[in-house]
Amino acid sequence: MDGSLGIRDPQGRAGQGGAAAAVEWISRALDRRLAATAAAFRTSARAEVRAGADLTRFLSLISLCSRYVPASALEASSDELADAAARVEGWWPERWSLRDLARVELVLSRPDLDDASGPAALEEAFQTADLGEAVAMYRSLALWPRPERLARRGAEGARNNVRAIFEAAVCDSAFAVRCFDDVAWRQCVIKALFVEAPLWRVHGLDGRLDAEIARMALDLAEERRSAGRHIAPQLWMCLGAHGGERGLRALLAQLDTPGAVGRGAAALALGRLAPALRVQVDFDARIARELDPAVRDALGRARGGVVPSNAFRPFDGPVPKVT
Amino acid sequence: MSDLRFFDPHIHCTSRTTDDFEAMAKAGVRAVIEPAFWLGQPRTTVGSFLDYFSSLVGWERFRASQFGIAHFCAIGLNSKEANNEGLAKEVLELLPRFALKEGVVAIGEIGYDEITAAEERAYQWQLDFARRHDMVVMVHSPHRDKKNGIRRSIAVAKECGVPMHKLVIDHNNEETVQDVLDAGAWPAFTIYPFTKMGSERMVEILRKYGPERLIVDSSADWGVSDPLSVPRTAALMLERGIDPAWVRRATWQNALDAYAQSGQIDVARLLETPTIDQSQLFHDNSVLRGQAPRVQTARAQGVPN
Repeated sequence: MDGSLGIRDPQGRAGQGGAAAAVEWISRALDRRLAATAAAFRTSARAEVRAGADLTRFLSLISLCSRYVPASALEASSDELADAAARVEGWWPERWSLRDLARVELVLSRPDLDDASGPAALEEAFQTADLGEAVAMYRSLALWPRPERLARRGAEGARNNVRAIFEAAVCDSAFAVRCFDDVAWRQCVIKALFVEAPLWRVHGLDGRLDAEIARMALDLAEERRSAGRHIAPQLWMCLGAHGGERGLRALLAQLDTPGAVGRGAAALALGRLAPALRVQVDFDARIARELDPAVRDALGRARGGVVPSNAFRPFDGPVPKVT
Repeated sequence: MSDLRFFDPHIHCTSRTTDDFEAMAKAGVRAVIEPAFWLGQPRTTVGSFLDYFSSLVGWERFRASQFGIAHFCAIGLNSKEANNEGLAKEVLELLPRFALKEGVVAIGEIGYDEITAAEERAYQWQLDFARRHDMVVMVHSPHRDKKNGIRRSIAVAKECGVPMHKLVIDHNNEETVQDVLDAGAWPAFTIYPFTKMGSERMVEILRKYGPERLIVDSSADWGVSDPLSVPRTAALMLERGIDPAWVRRATWQNALDAYAQSGQIDVARLLETPTIDQSQLFHDNSVLRGQAPRVQTARAQGVPN
């Protein structure tokens, strides 16, 4: 498994290039947006970190970002976002705050990112991080050089019950799909269903779905159905192309339930099944008798057989707030 | 009553269950401060403190937010555990890593327990830290030799250069309130069921001294205590004919004024109707089931004492 998340570069430059390219993007984004006091703090803090601030000072500067840099939305333009994705594969900082940016810039300004002391300092920081600091530091993981060194820490974030932290560790980058081992990867996919995090934002999800994840998802669906409890609409996304006969039956059963959200998600998921299974679905008949227009559209799309994970975007919950 | 919102500036949420959060939210408690204290039996390693401080700025804040309650905290080495001097030294070294974080509104709860030399050293160190960083200080006054302990707490704070308008002295009673007011500090009163200070007595203290700088809190913790002390006491005050403006000051505004000096409280946001971010909950742990907390009329019987 190639752990580098660097620039899409024909010469195949490794993560180091990715980190520098990301920092450049972040710095420009901050240059454009920070008011005078915040900018002054950021400039001097960054200089201190670059010069090799000791651990306590580094941690204080991360904390002090809360006093100087507002937690307001980044509001990146589509050009900026496209540029970010071009610099680091799968990187999509649309949901980052200004304060996240400032904190990530400080982390990535450390001179020892490539040495053992860099990740060690990050671990220390996680021991005492508040929620906002943890979110920013999890967001930084994908941008480190050789980010696979931070896989265990990332997996720890994926164990977290606070949705904002879970998303920071796992969404909006290719970090999880590239760096988590099989156990951590499968667990994080299922955990996303429990915390209702937007799985479609895990870059590269579809490429790493498998029969085991599909099995776990279908077991969970059965457990929820037996209990008469809610089934997360994203669960159906997890089947990918690996749902098999059992998946097909579960999806068709879901299509017979009253909730339009569940039906819509199940409809989309039908379009992701293996062609031999998809061909068994009576799409035309179902479309004809479906009353809900969104579900009708989903069935129509599924019939075409091309349903990437981001088709599940409409099933997102509201964005979690953490400063 | 349903229009009133309450601030409980001294409560140990780590010891409370979500039943309490639900009840508090329903009764109108909109904001809390959780100061660092001991856990009922002494900690033995600095790691326990580190994880505890971490929970105050992390998990406990998150937990309270799920019920629409804004949670702030105070960080400090408490008086009881200051007597383990080797450990105390390590804990004081930790303070800079936590005290400057967002939402930390004070150094606290610090002060004396038995008035030992070790306690005084830890108290002075933290007062000095607070002064250097321009922080509010929350002082726990001892339950034994209280009057003397409070006088000493104030005197030492003055010596260390902490301005009196940034000093909150908690657990006052009829014998101590005048000293705190005379010094220009904030007298807070913890309303306990059955012991120490109760609601009825609090009503009379407010009546006698007026609303200037008086603060009511619950200190609800792992012992017999009532997380609804503040709204219950407020209800009793109103029933006993105290001016509603006075009640509002003693159970909301004074605490807000004292601790907003930290710059860590978004006052405008506190005045908004709390929104619970449903997306933070997941279905197998959801308590709210989709409804927002409503403010209910608290019965005007106070806390029996």
